Order: sequence, then structure tokens, then C-alpha cells
Amino acid sequence: MKLFKHFDAESIDHVLEMVTATNGKTALMAGGTDLMGVLKSELLAAYPEVVINLKTIAGLDTIKMVDQECRIGATTRLTDIAASEPIQTTFPALAAAAASVGSPELRNMGTIGGNLCQDTRCWYYRYPDKMGGRIPCYRKGKGPCHAIRGENRYHAILGGKKCYAVCPSDLAIALGALDARVKVVGPTAEQMMPILDFFNVLGTVLKPDELVTEIRIPLPSKTAVQIFLKNRVRDAVDFAVVSVAVMVDQEEGVCRDARIILGAVAPTPYRAFAAEAAINGKSLNETHVAAAAEAAVKDAKPLSQNAYKIDITKALIHRALLSS
Amino acid sequence: MKKTNGKERTAVTLVVNGVTHELNVGDQPYQVSPCHTLAQTLRETLGVTGTKVGCDQGACGSCTVIMDGRPILSCMTLTIQCHGSEITTIEGLADPASGKLHPIQQSFVDHSAFQCGFCTPGIIMASKSLLDRHPSADKQAVKEALSGHYCRCISHYQVVDAVMDVAEKGEGDR
Repeated sequence: MKLFKHFDAESIDHVLEMVTATNGKTALMAGGTDLMGVLKSELLAAYPEVVINLKTIAGLDTIKMVDQECRIGATTRLTDIAASEPIQTTFPALAAAAASVGSPELRNMGTIGGNLCQDTRCWYYRYPDKMGGRIPCYRKGKGPCHAIRGENRYHAILGGKKCYAVCPSDLAIALGALDARVKVVGPTAEQMMPILDFFNVLGTVLKPDELVTEIRIPLPSKTAVQIFLKNRVRDAVDFAVVSVAVMVDQEEGVCRDARIILGAVAPTPYRAFAAEAAINGKSLNETHVAAAAEAAVKDAKPLSQNAYKIDITKALIHRALLSS
Repeated sequence: MKKTNGKERTAVTLVVNGVTHELNVGDQPYQVSPCHTLAQTLRETLGVTGTKVGCDQGACGSCTVIMDGRPILSCMTLTIQCHGSEITTIEGLADPASGKLHPIQQSFVDHSAFQCGFCTPGIIMASKSLLDRHPSADKQAVKEALSGHYCRCISHYQVVDAVMDVAEKGEGDR
């Protein structure tokens, strides 16, 4: 890797001060499992002058139950989230999502904040500079998206326009179903934003001088059922081909307040409103579930090699709703 | 750059296999650069070459070492962030006085749980960490703990047998 200066952060204020002082030529590192790959491959023309270690900020890696919500610090490791008893009992979908990320070693290093902020795995975007030069593309601000006419079997089937790279985060999908909020702190203001607003087509809405410090999840209704399912080529290490997180509440056999979030099918976590509408107010039987699965992908516009994702998406929604 | 109260570390202390190393930060020999990975420091600065670097991307598990009780990938960790950590590598397993192998190492030999052996140090460190925490782990737990390790020679079956043998004999937590 090319040289950079390295600082251990002492507090969030300290990070903000340093980011401003370096004019944004700063990379923030938590677990490092994504950033180290970005730096090694030199996939972006801009290389940070300073790397700031967020793991040294005291108290940023805690899981707390406060009032009617759970607060998870941004540098909480995925292993700790997957093994946390309150998370397992209250937010099983989140525990399942955290346990499904990468390998045990990666989960020992990676954090929840990093999982949300990681860069996409699109193979054109990730192409290393040392192997004949990085590939400019729409996401990098120059040129077209190469997935449209190229190798696109893992790219988006929904919501793709100028860039078809998918959001790689598993936790975002589970947190979307749980209606979580993300605390984003910048030099002038801090805000709590719904997790689904945190993502945009080219990654996240974070500005260079902002960072995620906390994730807050409201306590779900006692009767709500949560499911997280992830399809991938190999049952370890791989990123999702398609993932689905569902939270659904049933009253007298009738479904209400369903939230269905799809992962790895769109540039952002994709809320399947049509599927939710198809199931709300109805019982979870074979016919209604099949209709919901069909509704979820009715807007799908697959590329040349990824139409198979439509079938996987339908199957996962089907499975998730029938086991709710 | 504006003056900050931030900590730009000038020295890193690592405890590798029980031996304390004080390394200065810099670009001279025996110094650690801020951009050095732990795998680089172990192999190139400290000469502890048992830890192997396979993909250097965090995908193969070859570079696994145990840091403060947890298996981590040394190729995706900056040395400068390991200050004060206790690190165990494959060299730290055998008894230094007698040269007697750790039961997991011996079991790998007995089961021929490798061919070329490049991935073996990483797999043994992940197995060691699992058996330290769960001395009588079951087969599913072993498979899950080793799920981040690739063996291009496909010795995975023998690896699981070797680790299970140690777990069943209850020798893993030595």
C-alpha cells in the first residue's frame, strides 16, 4: 500500500476536527476489511493522506437497550452483534444478518458502521490499478457503467439506471426491515435518518466530512416475526446474490405492517412496497404469498446475465413469508 | 496541517508468541510504516514467516493469526493499530523447549490434513482459537469456524477429521 499518515482517534469531535483540517483527504477506518481492499487495489484515483482509526474511540462499540429502542455503537463488531443475547432475542433478523457476513475472521474485525458504509463489490469498480489500470466508470464519475454490456450476473435487476452495482451490505437489509435509524454526525450538525434514506444509487449520502456513529432500532411489536434470508453461491465468505429481510405482524391470522426489504438486487436496499401492499390485510397463505413475490419483481428489468435473480428473489420472499 | 490533539503513534509494542517487540514507526529497516499490514510486519520485519499471505484481500484465510483471543486476518490489519496486542502465530504452538508439536499440529500430521500446506498455518490458528473457546466443539462448529479458509488442494475433509479428533480427545485447550 502507498504511504499515509495514521492517527488514533480519541473522540468523535476529534475525528471531525481532523477531517476538516485535512480538507477531506482522510479515510476513516473501523474494521478495515473493506477499506484495506480499496487502498491496496488503489481503485480510486484519490488516495487518502491520512487514515484515522475509529476503533480507539472509547464507548463506540456498545450495545445498549435504552427506552424503547436498541442503540448500537458504530464500531461494534459483527461477531458481538451476532452473539449478543438482547439482539438475538429482540432482533433475530439482525443477528442472522450479522452472522451471515463473510467469514468468522472477517466478523471479528468488521463493524456495523463499516458494513453500512462499505463500497460496492462491482468487479469493474473494484478492478485493481496495478493490473493494467483502474477502470473508469459512471460510479467513479467518468464513462459509462460497464456492467450494462459486460459481465453482469451479480448486478442490479431493479432500480438500476446509470450504475448497476448493488449495495453489498447485509445488515442494511435487516435494519431496513426493522425500521432502524442511523446517526450521522458532521462538523455543523448531527441527524438521525431512516436507514433506507442513508443509501443512494452511488453508495451512501455521507459527505466526506461526515461519519456514522450509532444505529438505533425501535423495539418491534411483541407479535412481529422477523426473517432474514440470504442466497449466495457458496455458504461462506461470499456476498449475497439476493437477500431478503421481512418483518411482519399478524393479528387474527391477518397480516399487517409488513416490511419487505430486498438486498443485492438494486443499487440501494430495495423496499418492495408492491409486495407489502399485496400481503397487508390478508392471511399468509400460498396464494397471497405467491402474489406478493410476483408483485415484488414486477418492475424488474434484468440485464443480459442476471434474470435468474428474479426467480431467486421470488423464492426467498415466498420462503420468508411462509415461515413468518 | 492544523495542529491536532490526535495520537500519531511513534512506536508500536507487539507481543508475538510471548516475546515483546518494540518497533518504531518509520521507513528504516526494523521499523514499521503506518501502511504496513500485520502480515507484512510479522513476515518481513520480525522474520516470523509461518504466517502465509494468500490472496492479500481477506478472502482466503491463509494469513489468520490469533490476536487477543480472536482469530483475525493479518493481511487486512494495520500493524500500527495492533499496539499493545498479544498475537499468536503458528510458531507459537509447538513447545519451544522440546519441539513437541501442539496436539492440533500433530493431528494434522496424523491425518495428512494438507498437501502443499500453504493454507495450513491459517487453518490451524482458526482451529486453535475455536478449541480454546470450545474444547469439545462438534463437527458443525468446526466447519463454521473454518468456513473462511480455502484449500486449493481440497484437504478440507481431512482437516475437519483432524480437528474433530483433537476435540473428541479433549486435548485442544492445552
